[in-house]
Amino acid sequence: MSADQSVRRDVRSILRTALPVTPGGALGVLFGIFAALCTVALLATSAYLITRAAEQPPILYLSMAVVGVRAFALGRAFFRYLERLASHDAAFRQLESVRVDLLRRLIPLAPDGLGRSRRGSLLSSLVSDVDELQNLPLRVVQPLMTSLGVAAIAVWVVALLSPTAAVGLAIALVAAFLGGTVIAARLAASAERAIAPRRAALLDAVLDYLSNLDVLIAYGAEKAGRRRVEAADIALTRALTARSAGVGIAAGALSLFSGLAVAWSLVAGIPALGTGDGHLTGPGLAVIVLIPLAVFEIVASVPLAASAWRQVRSSAERIARVAPADVPRELPIGGGTAAILPVTAAPVLQLSQVAATWPGASEPSLIIENLRVDAGERILIEGMSGAGKTTLAHILVRFLEFDGEYLLAGQNVRDLPLDQVRRVVGLCEQVPYLFDESIRQNLLFARDTATDVELTAVLDRVGLGEWVRERGGLDARVGERGALVSGGQAQRIALARALLRDFPVIVLDEPTANVETDLAGRLMADLLDATSEDGRTVLVISHADIADALVDRRIRISDGVLENSAAL
Amino acid sequence: MNVRPLDPRLLRYAVSARWFLATGAVLGVATTASILAFAWLITKCITGAIEGQSLGDLLPFIGMLAAVALLRALLVYAQDLVAARGAARVKSELRLGVLDAVRRLGPAFLAEKNSARVATLLGRGMDALDDYFSKYLPQLILTVIVTPIVVLVVLLSDWLSAVFILVTLPLIPIFMILIGWATQAVQRRQWTVLGDLSSGFVDTLGGLATLKIFGRESRQVKRMRSITTFYRIETMRVLRVSFLSSFALELAASLSVALVAVSIGLRLVDGSLGLTVGLFVLLLAPEAFLPLRQVGANFHAAAEGVAAAEDAFTILDDARSLPAVESQTATDARGVSAGVLSVDHVTVDYGAGAVAAPVTAEFRPHELTVIAGPSGTGKSSLLAAILGFAPFSGSVRFANRPVPCSADERGWLAWTGQRPSLSVGTVSENVALGSDAVDHGLVRRALDLAAAPEIDPDLAVGVAGAGLSGGQAQRVALARAIYRTLDRRSAVLLLDEPTSALDHGTEARLLDGLRIVAESGVAVIVVSHRQAVINRADALVSLSSRTVVAA
Repeated sequence: MSADQSVRRDVRSILRTALPVTPGGALGVLFGIFAALCTVALLATSAYLITRAAEQPPILYLSMAVVGVRAFALGRAFFRYLERLASHDAAFRQLESVRVDLLRRLIPLAPDGLGRSRRGSLLSSLVSDVDELQNLPLRVVQPLMTSLGVAAIAVWVVALLSPTAAVGLAIALVAAFLGGTVIAARLAASAERAIAPRRAALLDAVLDYLSNLDVLIAYGAEKAGRRRVEAADIALTRALTARSAGVGIAAGALSLFSGLAVAWSLVAGIPALGTGDGHLTGPGLAVIVLIPLAVFEIVASVPLAASAWRQVRSSAERIARVAPADVPRELPIGGGTAAILPVTAAPVLQLSQVAATWPGASEPSLIIENLRVDAGERILIEGMSGAGKTTLAHILVRFLEFDGEYLLAGQNVRDLPLDQVRRVVGLCEQVPYLFDESIRQNLLFARDTATDVELTAVLDRVGLGEWVRERGGLDARVGERGALVSGGQAQRIALARALLRDFPVIVLDEPTANVETDLAGRLMADLLDATSEDGRTVLVISHADIADALVDRRIRISDGVLENSAAL
Repeated sequence: MNVRPLDPRLLRYAVSARWFLATGAVLGVATTASILAFAWLITKCITGAIEGQSLGDLLPFIGMLAAVALLRALLVYAQDLVAARGAARVKSELRLGVLDAVRRLGPAFLAEKNSARVATLLGRGMDALDDYFSKYLPQLILTVIVTPIVVLVVLLSDWLSAVFILVTLPLIPIFMILIGWATQAVQRRQWTVLGDLSSGFVDTLGGLATLKIFGRESRQVKRMRSITTFYRIETMRVLRVSFLSSFALELAASLSVALVAVSIGLRLVDGSLGLTVGLFVLLLAPEAFLPLRQVGANFHAAAEGVAAAEDAFTILDDARSLPAVESQTATDARGVSAGVLSVDHVTVDYGAGAVAAPVTAEFRPHELTVIAGPSGTGKSSLLAAILGFAPFSGSVRFANRPVPCSADERGWLAWTGQRPSLSVGTVSENVALGSDAVDHGLVRRALDLAAAPEIDPDLAVGVAGAGLSGGQAQRVALARAIYRTLDRRSAVLLLDEPTSALDHGTEARLLDGLRIVAESGVAVIVVSHRQAVINRADALVSLSSRTVVAA
């Protein structure tokens, strides 16, 4: 299957998840049609009432029309209210499945299947795309179904009075539907294709200018920077103005067809008036002339629905690209089913002839001929940034698939379930993720049975005891993405989590990379000190130098190759 | 929600908005005329036919009706066109205006405001103005023009119907305000729930790798489901109330039409009113409500745009309130190619007290001076003072002349901060930043001196230095500063933690390069705490939290 086909299939499945086929959703559509029918009926009955009254019949003959006018006026507001409640409730129910569905798609992909750069902005745009999917039932299906239903009923009612007028109305409606969806979509789509890259270029230019403003000023280059933004802005504004020519076409066409339908009804109705075979009365004429006016007011939502559809579809496409249902083959899926039965004599980690490739990369980013780590060893993995150190960490915790053999305490990891491997090998990420919760919550998810005494003890062990007490204890919050916590403190919290989980093997990925350089040495010593008890195996990945006393062995990775190592 | 219908600052800061409003008013008047003509022609045809006129008699009127329909369609099209163009122009105007305002407010302002936030405001935030211009403002203009004229025409035709309309019309805004006011507290709580849920979802996605490490991913799925259910129940509770405002709006509009219709019908029966007037008024009555209903329906979309515009206005107001920059031509030190940079009791003060203890030191040409000290002792603040990015007390003098606080011309100074801050372009373009022409030989030499001989000058650099590793980006930034000292004969080279991403070998080669630069007569100043750097210093300035020793 080609990549395009699989994206299309994913888009279809995402859209299906987003569209509620529930009683609530159907009820919403039904109420919507009732509300729209009331709008049309209000105008039609009013016209009938007035023209019939002008014939000065006994007032009794008008009482039905009077009641009808009042009932339709109330009904319109009432059904509209019910429609909104029903359709919103259905859409929110669907949001639930959409979010859960997305989460399920992302779990096997995270983190290495989600692209290595700008992950944060990617995820937040993913969230707004998911929210956009709500508009599929609310702003696409609802108005389309309502318009179709009302248009059909209106044509039928007019046909009862004057078939000729009904034919004209039907043609005008079909033309309006086509103009409002197909033609407008084609115009807008080609313009939007031109606009999207320019919009992105402008954003890049703005971000470039703003985030480098100090440098631009210091180098006297801010005028050149502004010129770049200005050029990007002019290009975008020009594209937007060009698109504006197509913007109003649908609305204008709708208005024109509505007027023409009215004119046609007059042409069709007037000759039939009063003649023997036509049976069209004065009130009947008023009704067939005014119904098109009211129907087109409802159908005016079709172009908006069409543009909402385009947005929903491109959101679904973006989601399908970021979170494909097919996991790339560079990532492990499922894992094995064997139980963990460690062979005590075997080294805790043994890798031979291993090669791993990042999704989308053409060549392996790390090749390991042979790596053997014995229980209780403390090893420094050093090398320049980009040499493949993080790749090693991700192979070890089974984030990345690999070719070759990787034995965990003598067992082939491919036979083991992924979560069992991750019970043994733990990772402290280069940028530890802290959830926007209290410190307690950020620790508890590592072991939810831990008592406050245990939590405080582990915080003391990683050198955070005093700091937490100063901030008012375990309930202190860490802020959004750990904004209230420095890089070093975040590393300490991450290690505390790993210690609570009691991983026999801990991998520390560049713990000092985001720490002010003068604090790095102390942090590294503290972290290694905290892991020194209970014979734990520790692998530290770092580009910075570490004192010899802190580690047993050094292994170097350069240019994607793990060099053969020897004990010190 | 407290939103003014139209912010006067929009007209002040965006000249195109005036053009937009004026064109909108002209179109509004034409629209009113076409509405009146359309209603009158329909009435004329129907009553004429009922009175017995033939199709032939009425055909000219039907033709006119079709012509008015065409005119009305053109006006609808023109309105959308004007709205789209107006929005594009106003956005562009505000965007560039804010950019210049930020430039005037300077890097210190950005550091406080978060540059990503400002960038979002200029990108997506400005796009929120689209709805404001295409849906809200045109309807607001129509409300001001169409509604009064239509009511006046109804008044002249049948005063009783006009009374019905005039009584119900104000009910719409009153109901909206009352209900909005009553639901404010609930809605605020709703926004909090919404924000929590959304950020909770982002948080879960962001921390997915961490959750996997701790085997928590499947439990999180369940949690997500229950949070979303809670959110739906809470939201629906609020919506039940807040949809009441649109309920009131619809009800007022349709009941008023019903009242008009019934009253006209009853008066037609007793012959006190003619059919022509009755039908004409019936057709006009909904038109009086339509623009106001649209304003109400698009109120929330517009409020979002207004909020974005308000953020932009705040920045523009801030920049306007800045005192005009006095020109500092007397202190332009461009011509000086060597000299001593001295700081005397310099301490940065943003207005909330001194950031760190005052510093006194001298930096001489031909020397490599290292500024060292633990974090928090004001190393970066001192650099900001020398650069003129931060307000300070004390004096900074170069070649015995005072250095201005906000110098536009810093030809004597080359600097690189802790972040590489590379722009989109090639490595060469980055290295030669601020020069009119790229001197390729000089770029090569600067890269060599910055211990980056292996970096290809033609390599493309993406946003935020994409395409380069951290260490490479750092060395390109260093080469940029070195290029400037070579190209402009800058007398001072100021580097903040230049070796933080470099390994020892590269660090040593960079220090060799800096030595060569210093020997050519430049005062090289390096902020660093690395021992290898300190060992190579000709002079050391140690900062500590209390005292400052210049050695």
